[in-house]
Amino acid sequence: MNAALLRWVHDLSVQGIILTDEQLLVRFCNGWLEKQIGTKESDLIGRHLFDIFPELKTRGVDRYYFEAINGQSRVLSHRLHKYLLPMAPSSGVGTFAQMQQSARISPLYEEDRIVGTITVIDDVTERVIREMELNAQLEERGRLLSSELAARELAEANSRIKDEFLATVSHEIRAPLNAITGWTQLLLNGQLDEARSHHALDTIQRNVKSQAQIIEDLLDISRIVAGQMRLDLQPLNLTESIEAAIESVSPAAVAKNIQLIQSAPSQPVFIMGDGGRLQQILWNLLANAVKFTPGGGMVETALREIDGFAELTVRDNGQGIRADFLPFVFDRFRQAEGGSKRKAGGLGLGLSIVRNLVEMHGGVIAVESRGEGSGTVFTISLPLLIAEKDRSGSGRMGKRTDDSDAHDISGCRILIVEDDKDSREMLGILLEAFNAETMMAATATEALGQMPRFKPDILISDLGMPEIDGYDLIKQIRTLTPDQGGRVPAIALTGFAGAEEMKRVHSAGFDMHLSKPIDQDKLIKAVNQLRHKNL
Amino acid sequence: MMLTERQSDALGEFINIAFSRTASSLSEITGQRVLLDVPQVEIYPIDKVATNLARFLPGDVASIHQPFDGSIAGDAFLILNYEGAVRLTDLLTDGGSPQPQLDESAREVLTEVGNILLNACLGMFGNILQVRVSFTVPSLHLESLDGLIDSIKKERDGLRYAIIVYTSFRIRESSVKGYLVLVLSVVSLNRLISEIESWEDRQNESIHTSTNPEASSLEN
Repeated sequence: MNAALLRWVHDLSVQGIILTDEQLLVRFCNGWLEKQIGTKESDLIGRHLFDIFPELKTRGVDRYYFEAINGQSRVLSHRLHKYLLPMAPSSGVGTFAQMQQSARISPLYEEDRIVGTITVIDDVTERVIREMELNAQLEERGRLLSSELAARELAEANSRIKDEFLATVSHEIRAPLNAITGWTQLLLNGQLDEARSHHALDTIQRNVKSQAQIIEDLLDISRIVAGQMRLDLQPLNLTESIEAAIESVSPAAVAKNIQLIQSAPSQPVFIMGDGGRLQQILWNLLANAVKFTPGGGMVETALREIDGFAELTVRDNGQGIRADFLPFVFDRFRQAEGGSKRKAGGLGLGLSIVRNLVEMHGGVIAVESRGEGSGTVFTISLPLLIAEKDRSGSGRMGKRTDDSDAHDISGCRILIVEDDKDSREMLGILLEAFNAETMMAATATEALGQMPRFKPDILISDLGMPEIDGYDLIKQIRTLTPDQGGRVPAIALTGFAGAEEMKRVHSAGFDMHLSKPIDQDKLIKAVNQLRHKNL
Repeated sequence: MMLTERQSDALGEFINIAFSRTASSLSEITGQRVLLDVPQVEIYPIDKVATNLARFLPGDVASIHQPFDGSIAGDAFLILNYEGAVRLTDLLTDGGSPQPQLDESAREVLTEVGNILLNACLGMFGNILQVRVSFTVPSLHLESLDGLIDSIKKERDGLRYAIIVYTSFRIRESSVKGYLVLVLSVVSLNRLISEIESWEDRQNESIHTSTNPEASSLEN
């Protein structure tokens, strides 16, 4: 029976089995193991185990055999040992140098006496590969899950920022409206004396301006996002632009007793820039500095030329910026104090617009703050206009014309088409104040009737009108001969100047568009510019 | 059954030696510093084991079981909670990201860890106490604590006691709690205690002749 069992183990077992006596001389080795180590059992019998496999000693595994002789069984897990006996890996499986094994070494008892050891070896190569594949899949799944979670968190954060932004927008738009509505009501009721009426009008004007600013900012951001922001680049003296910006914030600074300190090179510093946009950049930085600096503080601007760049620093000793908010200062819709806690007004768009405008000028903007309470430094670097060598003279360059020339529209014949009576009258009074000759039309039909008689130099038309709107009007005018006024330069007045709208305005035949509410300065300059174009 | 303070100290010291051997074996195999905290030892009648362990092992447990026979006979167990078992194999094998489950290879590792620990304890019966015990390859079981206790109770008849050793494996700044449980008959327990007492007497005598009594004992 024993012989039959041993025969079975030798021939049929798919594990490696090796038996030794108490001297560790090999007494049995089964067929599976013979095949794997490539040595016949007859060549192994009677040899010392450590002579056949010297690696057992060098790897310190020999001690388990001594323990087995002392009566201890020992499990050798694959993960901690990789293999027991060096054997070639099963063919076609994996990339291991050795067959991957787990093993057991036990004492061999005859009745109560230990007579030797038995070693049983399993080939676990396939199992190990399966586990590795499974673990790789689990890891991949975990990685996907965590990246999905991160994406969701980001989306949620963005949506939260936008919600806060919308709340801010509605607050910022509503607040000036309250003031405007309230004071207008009082004025209409006729309850105010002259001094109070004046105060009311001042307040209304200030609030209108602030609302116009908000809408401008929103439109700017929409242009930037859509890539529709265009700059009208001209050579200009940065020193002058800074002075102008300082002048515009000085009333606010004076009111808070904030000292404005300016330093600049004695010679003009020329860059290529869009005058209006540059003002916007400088005004934003300075206005922010004044806004966040407590009364009695200081705002300092310093301009210098360095390595082909004009470098402007705006430094204040105000409340500073928290380190954790610093990286987000130029992000859209971000304010350090979000939601209901916010103390400062505004939309949180200013600095984002500033950064975009600076970058469109080929420059960079940076911010530094040592934290709350220790002030903030904004630094803008803009490329110098290298071609300019002659720095003497007035500081005005090239095509740039004097402001007084830019406002000369005297004698200009202007046809105003506007269905809203108040707006029409306002435009007429404004243009006549600059000595222009004006003619009013309340409808497009009326305007078309006046064209041959009045022969306008410039046409200013509203877009939204009943029956024939501004677009159809200009299309009809453009079908006329030059003598009939078919080429008259035309300005569209638009209430909603999105990028799409602008495209439509120009393709209909207008040369320019101005958004409502009309800025007097811009209107006059536009008329002047188109008038010269036509000459 | 109550132990005297002296018996309790001697038992604690005895198990400490077994644990420090286990720790050094594990350190050697894994190439990482493995420590086993100085264990706390308690003895309960077998009926009280479940309630005492249930506080620490609320869910499924992994147990490595090794019965032993001879003049001291009984069952030795290393018990870990399932989550602890997963963590212990991860810490010992440093196999990249932590696995949520015990795969077959991880179960083998656990069996080997139990094997080393139980061999160290049971081996000391033979080596130090000069009590002959024989034991086989341990087996791993994953089940609830109740299931485990039921299987212990069914194993043999008669009033039995359990020596519970509370310890923790400390590896790479993490620690995993584990419980060594030796279930013995009254006779075996008495025999063990008295063997340990006389071992301690021999220890105290050898202090006068050797500066390192433990080393001299281990070399027996």
